[in-house]
Amino acid sequence: MLGSVILTYVILFFMDPENAKHAVFEGLQVLKMVLPIILVVFFLTGLVNITVDKEKISRHFGKESGMKGWFYAIVAGILSHGPTYVWYPFLQNLREHGAKDSLIFAFLYARAIKIPWIPLMISYFGWVFTLFFSLYIIIGALLQGMIVELIERKKEN
Amino acid sequence: MMFKMVLPMLLAVIGLVGIFKTYVTPEMIKSLFDGSVLHDMIVGVGVGAISVGQPFVSYIIGGELLKEGASFYGVTAFILSFVTLGVVQLPMEFGIFGVRFTLLRNFLSLVFAFLVAYATAYSVELAG
Repeated sequence: MLGSVILTYVILFFMDPENAKHAVFEGLQVLKMVLPIILVVFFLTGLVNITVDKEKISRHFGKESGMKGWFYAIVAGILSHGPTYVWYPFLQNLREHGAKDSLIFAFLYARAIKIPWIPLMISYFGWVFTLFFSLYIIIGALLQGMIVELIERKKEN
Repeated sequence: MMFKMVLPMLLAVIGLVGIFKTYVTPEMIKSLFDGSVLHDMIVGVGVGAISVGQPFVSYIIGGELLKEGASFYGVTAFILSFVTLGVVQLPMEFGIFGVRFTLLRNFLSLVFAFLVAYATAYSVELAG
């Protein structure tokens, strides 16, 4: 994938050097912003690998996790910072340690709620909008998770 | 472990973000909306899906879209799919989670983009 992107940039530099330079600049800005989050994510991933065993993950986020699992997944999703793709490795790591896919889905959708940006959303679209928006996202995250659970159960039978 | 595989993917995604931010302008986006609910919702979800960036970018563009007459439903769909759908990160998603997970997640996010956006806009309208 990186190869294709680099190739694209090389082509762009020949065809449109001004914009290509700007794209590199924009990319570097994103990298600057994302780097601390990447470090946090890798740290967390390493931490999970070392300290938490499969049994703990399975208990809190696996098949028997119950209501608490959903709560953690949604809250964690809302609190998680930065772009979604930075969290993929960490989430896949949890999956491999026994976390349910349905909770991963819930986490990922709950991420649509961005706490730091809520004041700005309120100023642009009002607090009624923001309230309903956030509420329906949480409901959506839960519903998606439940759909995934149903699919998993059908697979097992 | 995953570091060697993940780092190039991350750099690739960031590279794509740079290209996108340079070549897709707010003007281009605004010209696509026409004010009708269904059309703007479809456009909103589509444009949001290919867009990348900080959430506040979608708020600013969304605000401008509303001023230009885009449907409130469409703008809500745009803002939502902006944060839940991402074409740019798909290859990485496929690579890390696998085909089945990725297809299902994006399909559900697509469907729910319409559902949540519609529910939100409708509720706001009801609330007056």
